[in-house]
Amino acid sequence: MSRATVELDFFGMEKQISANSRFPKFLNRQRSFRDIQSAISKINPELLKSVIASGSANQQSTPENGYQFDSKKSFSVPATPKEEQTPFPRLPVYYPLQRPALENPPQTAPLTIFYNGTVAVFDVPRDTAESILKLAENGFSKAVESTNQKQVLESLEGDLPIARRKSLQRFLEKRKERLTSLSPYACTPDCRS
Amino acid sequence: MEEENQNSKSNRTNCSSSMSDVVLGCVMPYIHDPRDRDAVSLVCRRWYELDALTRKHITIAFCYTTSPDRLRRRFKHLESLKLKGKPRAAMFNLIPEDWGGFVTPWVNEIAESFNCLKSLHFRRMIVTDSDLEVLAKSRGRVLQVFKLDKCSGFSTDGLLHVGRLCRQLRTLFLEESSILEKDGYWLHELALNNTVLETLNLYMTDLNKVRFEDLELIAKNCRNLVSVKISDCEILDLVRFFHTAAALEEFCGGSFNDMPDKYSAVTFPQKLCRLGLTYMGKNEMPIVFPFASLLKKLDLLYALLDTEDHCLLIQKCFNLEVLETRNVIGDRGLEVLASSCRRLKRLRIELGADAQGMEDEEGVVSQRGLIALAQGCLELEYMAVYVSDITNVALEHIGAHLRNLNDFRLVLLDREERITDLPLDNGVRSLLRQCKKLRRFALYLRPGGLTDVGLGYIGQYSINVRWMLLRYVGESDEGLLEFSKGCPSLQKLEMRGCCFTESALARAVMQLTSLRYLWVQGYRASSSNPGRDLSAMVRPFWNIELIPPRKVVVVNQVGEDVVVEQPAHILAYYSLAGPRTDFPNSVVPLDLVGLVAT
Repeated sequence: MSRATVELDFFGMEKQISANSRFPKFLNRQRSFRDIQSAISKINPELLKSVIASGSANQQSTPENGYQFDSKKSFSVPATPKEEQTPFPRLPVYYPLQRPALENPPQTAPLTIFYNGTVAVFDVPRDTAESILKLAENGFSKAVESTNQKQVLESLEGDLPIARRKSLQRFLEKRKERLTSLSPYACTPDCRS
Repeated sequence: MEEENQNSKSNRTNCSSSMSDVVLGCVMPYIHDPRDRDAVSLVCRRWYELDALTRKHITIAFCYTTSPDRLRRRFKHLESLKLKGKPRAAMFNLIPEDWGGFVTPWVNEIAESFNCLKSLHFRRMIVTDSDLEVLAKSRGRVLQVFKLDKCSGFSTDGLLHVGRLCRQLRTLFLEESSILEKDGYWLHELALNNTVLETLNLYMTDLNKVRFEDLELIAKNCRNLVSVKISDCEILDLVRFFHTAAALEEFCGGSFNDMPDKYSAVTFPQKLCRLGLTYMGKNEMPIVFPFASLLKKLDLLYALLDTEDHCLLIQKCFNLEVLETRNVIGDRGLEVLASSCRRLKRLRIELGADAQGMEDEEGVVSQRGLIALAQGCLELEYMAVYVSDITNVALEHIGAHLRNLNDFRLVLLDREERITDLPLDNGVRSLLRQCKKLRRFALYLRPGGLTDVGLGYIGQYSINVRWMLLRYVGESDEGLLEFSKGCPSLQKLEMRGCCFTESALARAVMQLTSLRYLWVQGYRASSSNPGRDLSAMVRPFWNIELIPPRKVVVVNQVGEDVVVEQPAHILAYYSLAGPRTDFPNSVVPLDLVGLVAT
């Protein structure tokens, strides 16, 4: 993980997570993971876009919560030994990487891309890495049909997050207010209705 | 319907000679199921009239399918009416507030004509203070059950009329309604004037100015008081109320603002078996332990418990039949539930907060919890759950063990990047095939969650399902068309985030034989002329409406206010009342003539 820390400083992406929580014990354990994962993930959209799309005539707009490869142009990546390329997933699903991943490192590994004088390191799961490599190899043709439908879905995904029930939403807001304004043992006349 | 009955005049002699009206009049009141009644009314004119005279209750599942006038003409002697307005999505802030579902025309008709009406239930409708006044003044003397269920548009001034004039009320239900609260006098009026109240429900209304003294008065005067659900009210203030309400079986609401040890003095009514204490934390939880084994229903949706707390409490509630909570219960909590609560019939797991450590990190539900549940709680009839991860095997377990399921809803959260086992084609098929009693079904997935083949399975195996809610299912129009060849019982279909084109949606509608109501948000609109390709479903008595895209402020995962462009909705439904005449600006009726002509 020290390697990742170097990248963090390099790109100056250190972030603070607010410690406004009722469960501080959980947060502390997670904090280092979250910092690293989220910071690394935050690099992805901008840098990846510039890396892949630089020099490309056709730039596709990317939706809010996801990103897409500009599959029209293939680009060269550092030569990857063929043995690492296992059969690709049945359905190439694009993973929005800027959401902090909660689970364990063994499932993701660093993928380093050198392009045109810039360096980017991404912590990606195996499937995503395979998708990237497949796109680089096959270029545009195969990916496009499923891309169209997926595009629609991806663009919808940004606009159609899971809607929360009004009553739950209200409760969660009130709970937040309670935690920020009341200490657990406050007993003022105001809080009695 | 009416047309068919006129043609059966020739059958009249045959019908009446085989059974006298007296006999028929004695038998008919015993037929309660609305579908049986529907069949009865189609036999001949005489039976239609007798059904109309003796039918006690009508549910109008969507208020724009008919009119107050038609209801009066057919069921003048109605005793109980339930009316639903806004689409279900309104409960999730997806429908403009002024969309519609106004009770005024109905209230006016009720005030004038429905002399026998004793029970009235409005769900997701817009009610004004003036409506309440009209109702209270005209029917207040006989009204026994009055439910304003997730309604909006009125204030406590309107409730004042109800409190003053509806003295025969057994049930007053206001749960989740948006009420403008000016004061608490209305409850005082109710307390002074009513001695027969059995159910009082102010749950989730934010009516905080009600005085606990008035609750005590109600408890004193109404000896049959059995169920009380209120908003935030300090539990310590309710000690006398609990002592007085001797017959109380259900209590929800309240609030804990004092030191935990003070609550050990609180004793609950002896018969209390349905409970939900708002803001109850781990330190206050022990007050429930003495009667945990008596509990049949537990509502932890608005409690402040973590996974461990859930395990501790649930373990003691071995007679539990209904549990509602957030996904903080976690897989571990579900395992405890499965081993402790063998009689569980209904389980609802809602989505808690997922940002900034507001919930226990252990609070995720996955296939592990579901499999345990399937093996332990064999009597489950209703299951609604938000999961972070899922597998086909989990769904297969549900299909194999939970044969009594009549309502199953699964939401796959967007939280995790990777889901262990997608697509869910085989699991869904297995579940639908084996849970033959399933009437309601919801599947909320992500792209890749269900292929076209899987969507076809839903069509093929959902024989008895009448309502479905689907999100991100299938991959292409082919899937939808395959789906719509099946679903023989599907009456109401709601979809979000589908990749289907307008023309596919329209064709699917035409193929779904039982469909009477369709709601879709997020689909592939025709790029050139949005709405145009829906013309394939233009047909008599079928209303088509659009809610165009609009900008809405929502709270995102991190808790910030974000402006989101909400995609367009399509709403289509059968109606005998013609197109709506009360559109707000936010809704657009589809001009059928214009469409067909272009």
